[in-house]
Amino acid sequence: MQKRNNYTEIEDFLADESFQLWILSKIDEQGWEEWTLENLQRAKLVEDARLLLLAMRVPDSKLSSSQVHEALQLTWQRIEQREALSQETLKIKRLRTIRYWGTGIAAAILVGLFSAWFFKNDILPHDNIVTYNELVEENNEGLVEQTNNTEKSQTITLSDGSSVLLQPNSKLSYPKIFTGNERKVYLSGEGFFEISKNPKKPFFVYANEIVTRVVGTSFRIKAYPDQQNVEVLVRTGKVRVKSNDMVRSVENEEIILLPNQAVRFARKDFVFNKITNITADPILVNSVTNIEQLSFEFTDIPVAQILETIEQAYLVDIDFPNDKLKDCRLTTSLSDQPLAEKLKIICKSIGNDTNYEMNGNQIVITTSGCN
Amino acid sequence: MSHILKNKVLDDFILWSNLKNGDERSFSLLFEKYYRDLINYGNSLCPFAEKVQDCIQDVFADIWLYRASLLDNVIVKAYLLSSVRKRIARLHERDYIFKKTTTTDVLEFLFDFSIENALVEDEVTAERVLHLNKLLNDLPGRQKEALYLRYHQGLSVDQIAELLEVNYQSANNLLHRGLLSLRKEWKGSIPLLILIYSGLL
Repeated sequence: MQKRNNYTEIEDFLADESFQLWILSKIDEQGWEEWTLENLQRAKLVEDARLLLLAMRVPDSKLSSSQVHEALQLTWQRIEQREALSQETLKIKRLRTIRYWGTGIAAAILVGLFSAWFFKNDILPHDNIVTYNELVEENNEGLVEQTNNTEKSQTITLSDGSSVLLQPNSKLSYPKIFTGNERKVYLSGEGFFEISKNPKKPFFVYANEIVTRVVGTSFRIKAYPDQQNVEVLVRTGKVRVKSNDMVRSVENEEIILLPNQAVRFARKDFVFNKITNITADPILVNSVTNIEQLSFEFTDIPVAQILETIEQAYLVDIDFPNDKLKDCRLTTSLSDQPLAEKLKIICKSIGNDTNYEMNGNQIVITTSGCN
Repeated sequence: MSHILKNKVLDDFILWSNLKNGDERSFSLLFEKYYRDLINYGNSLCPFAEKVQDCIQDVFADIWLYRASLLDNVIVKAYLLSSVRKRIARLHERDYIFKKTTTTDVLEFLFDFSIENALVEDEVTAERVLHLNKLLNDLPGRQKEALYLRYHQGLSVDQIAELLEVNYQSANNLLHRGLLSLRKEWKGSIPLLILIYSGLL
């Protein structure tokens, strides 16, 4: 600290961090003020240095820490791309995810994924594959899993009221109750989703290598682990699809789909193909499920018939007092609603004392008739 | 103070050697520590913000990919600033391929110093500072760059010499000449007494 007694040039002061701190931040930890006053010659030097510092301002960088973090992630991606290029012979692919710890310090967590090259799969190259199990393991929200081993589709109602019609040989993992600002579920196989609207909490479906993001719509995803393509087909609303961050993709493009549009993601080539005319695509046409063919636009239709349509669409059993609803007719549009919402609307339309209860695929409606 | 400084340098040494051994966390920490400084410096050498970001990310990618061959005992900040400068120079060369330039001399320091307005209390000081600021910004780019590196990025004269690819004496001259010419002009115009009193408010 006493070295400042030997300062004879402005430069000496300018380069002194504690001096800079005193001038620019008014933090005088080392008694600069007092020290300056001791000597007139010194005071002059100090003033010169001060004015110079004031005239030499460099504006602070406006980057937020999330921007820095983003740049860091981009850098890791860059590293992976170059590693992948140079390590083609090693056939090792690492997946990196970067997580923030409580302190705000980023820590790179490395997940080494050793592809099973020995069991060479003819369909797909291994280094770009994301499996359902990996996705589910990544999540720490305490997921429940439903597997459909039957030959008919099953309806799952999620905690936010959304419904998922799960096809045979498919499974879905989802949190018992959605918490936080995002709703995330994981799909293997095929499912038809009707998502309850909540723009504040976007809904994400992770399926193989792609992520589908919606706020409230209906759409179908087909993502079987052993098939070459992943498909997303939209019925209502707007859906965004992009590749999962876990896998390297040269351009991380986002596909936006509108009603009756679809995207087919080729897992082998890592390419998205958008399909704007789904009726001209034989694969999509052939795989249309019940629910997608049924109309939920009802004009003066008996309630019993509406409930029957719902039974067919969701493959559920609805029990209701036939005699009491015999003369009840409804005009309503239920197209864009998940199952729970459809039932709620119907009950409300029938009358105030009408309620429903859902237990698995058994639904019971209690009512005293329509008013 | 010197204690703090030593700690800082020590930290960098540790992070650097961890990084050399493949520690991703150290890499990330260094990245987050210096990214802003590098962006700031890069932007004063190249007006295209996106290219600057690219260059900086490439510098870090190189560090990771070639970590095995990195030197020990590197002053990390000086090394990073210098690497960014070289990258941007290379970019320049590519863009100006017809000008046969091979050194980093082609780079022009584009940055203008501004004024710490919030800290200027009185009009007399304000006038002086404004005048000084203009003189500073009229200095040749290389002198400005040297001053910037010395007093804002905190590099030593040695490090600046290495970064600008000149010898120690030349780097010293760049720094000195800048301030010297400044002082000549400005001494003539400022009565000593005002300086003293305004400085001790």
